[in-house]
Amino acid sequence: MSGGGRCPDCGSAELVEDSHYSQNQLVCSDCGCVVTEGVLTTTFSDEGNLREVTYSRSTGENEQVSRSQQRGLRRVRDLCRVLQLPPTFEDTAVAYYQQAHQLAGIRTARLQKKEVLAGCCVLITCRQRNWPLTMGTICTLLYADLDVFSGTYMQIVKLLGLDVPSLCLVDLVKTYCSSFKLFEASPSVPAKYVEDKEKMLSRTLQLVELADETWLVTGRHPLPVITAATFLAWQSLRPSDRLTCSLARFCKLANVDLPYPASSRLQELLAVLLRMAEQLPWLQVLKLDKRSVVKHIGDLLQHRHMLVRKAFRDGTAEMDAGEKEPQGQGQGQGLGDGDVGSSSLELPAGKRPASPALLLPPCMLKPPKRVCPIPPVSTVTGDEDISDSEIEQYLRTPQEIRDFQKAQAARQAAQSVPNPT
Amino acid sequence: PRSPLLSPSVPYDTAFNPQLEELSQENKDQAVIRSKHEIEENCKTQSQQTTLPLPSQLDTGLALNSSSGSSSHSHLHPADGNSAQPSPEKPHSLPLASITPMTPMAPISECSGIVPQLQNIVSTVNLACKLDLKKIALHAKNAEYNPKRFAAVIMRIREPRTTALIFSSGKMVCTGAKSEEQSRLAARKYARVVQKLGFPARFLDFTIQNMVASCDVRFPISLEGLVLTHQQFSSYEPELFPGLIYRMVKPRIVLLIFVSGKVVLTGAKKRSDIYEAFENIYPILKGFKKA
Repeated sequence: MSGGGRCPDCGSAELVEDSHYSQNQLVCSDCGCVVTEGVLTTTFSDEGNLREVTYSRSTGENEQVSRSQQRGLRRVRDLCRVLQLPPTFEDTAVAYYQQAHQLAGIRTARLQKKEVLAGCCVLITCRQRNWPLTMGTICTLLYADLDVFSGTYMQIVKLLGLDVPSLCLVDLVKTYCSSFKLFEASPSVPAKYVEDKEKMLSRTLQLVELADETWLVTGRHPLPVITAATFLAWQSLRPSDRLTCSLARFCKLANVDLPYPASSRLQELLAVLLRMAEQLPWLQVLKLDKRSVVKHIGDLLQHRHMLVRKAFRDGTAEMDAGEKEPQGQGQGQGLGDGDVGSSSLELPAGKRPASPALLLPPCMLKPPKRVCPIPPVSTVTGDEDISDSEIEQYLRTPQEIRDFQKAQAARQAAQSVPNPT
Repeated sequence: PRSPLLSPSVPYDTAFNPQLEELSQENKDQAVIRSKHEIEENCKTQSQQTTLPLPSQLDTGLALNSSSGSSSHSHLHPADGNSAQPSPEKPHSLPLASITPMTPMAPISECSGIVPQLQNIVSTVNLACKLDLKKIALHAKNAEYNPKRFAAVIMRIREPRTTALIFSSGKMVCTGAKSEEQSRLAARKYARVVQKLGFPARFLDFTIQNMVASCDVRFPISLEGLVLTHQQFSSYEPELFPGLIYRMVKPRIVLLIFVSGKVVLTGAKKRSDIYEAFENIYPILKGFKKA
């Protein structure tokens, strides 16, 4: 249907536009003569719509799973299998990883971050299903730094708007304690060190609960507290044979890593137990110390609720009362000491249980490392005049400038001398 | 001695005699509530009149109050025999009508009596001229310039004790000051140093970018409990950090809350945001006093 064209062969006006494959042609419908042909090749400007589009701008990326995402998903699945998680966990973790991968900030992140992200998704899944997995375990599996892990973890929780519950302490105790290799005799574990799993578990749980009640768990890494509690539980179940074994040796026997803060947690727990022991009359006469109190942990745990109430007074109530009196600084620790001292003056020592100590986190009981001075009252307005002399004290004199330049030049010269090879 | 709070421009009931004395129990609650009003009033006036030396005076007055030892909260003793003084038996709402501001206030809750202390102010200013950093590092004694490490000159002055990052574009960041006025004075001194070195430095768009404050509520806080009830605002990961990170929505401030009761507030552009954030968090923290 072209206007005004005639076939050169037969003179017909019936010219039709037709395509031979993709080549446009003008053909006479009467005799079939090809009048004009389109160009098989196109020019650069013609190809405007046909030009190649980069992968990231095409829709292909949304439709397909990219290679790095595939690798990440494989990693998530591998982690779930290594940790022997229930099968439903894998699907949730994979879903989180895919969700995370949609975010621009994650998609363009370095490979290291994507590796760590796989671990984060598994950790979040475990936390939400109350499966006690620590960040330390995941970092060991990923060969990743805790700093890198923590940054990615906090970022992904914020970006996906997830609600991640806290680590469940009771479950963590159960899994962690079960990993101690002390329940069967072996060449490295003599018979006197072997212990019944259930007994050790229940006692460890009670000790961890006690630590939680006495402010030893809040703000601290949960694992060292459990290590210390397990050690004390194990020792107290057969003190005569086990008192000689140290915490480090215990962990080595049990084939478990000793976390660094565990010894400090152990001392804190023993101090709490000693305070509780002071409230039991038949233990008071024994004048226990940190080693001998281990023998009586069973008794102490049996009456722990009552003993904690008696041995410790509420640190918070004491705070409000204490402020009325001119006691000076300190979080009431002066009061505590004063009370104990006065009570021992009134009656012969040992006849009366010690006065309650303050129930506070250890960081509040220790004296402050440095006294923070109250900043002096400032009457600065911000608009004061600035004297020239004050500014000039910061400027170099011409002589100083020359000296400095000479020194710099000398240093440059010394550095640029090539080393004799 | 009279506290500098009684400046004529302060719209208080001038019958107040803010002497620091112990109060009997009946007066204590009212006075504590009154001091909260003053904090809020002062903050409102401060935001309107930024050139007045009110903020530092407020700091002065209340810092004196809180530093008078653990023996008292920040009490204000109302003058005796004054017509404006409320009698202890009357309900709280009546005597406060005389100083109630025009804008409706939040329901009167227990005032904390604690004032967060500013620890750091970060501000920026535009010197509006291109700078030769090598020349600055050569001519100034207090400058440090290592282009391979960082593309700015690090300059320090002694009074107010601050540090500045000076970029070749003429932009400058000033950190380390303990109040807004000190930050402004310090920034002006840095600009003056740059001027004396021969550059046509100006002082445009001085803005406070961030304020950090800290305080102590003086009782232990159960962080596990707090993260359970306020989980949409809190993030508590003891495996990573011992404190709880609380992201308050209004005002938009981030608080770091520790088990010892110490609280760090950051992300504020105005001092009133910090005070408001602390007054918001204090009743919440008191709810978690006991484990």
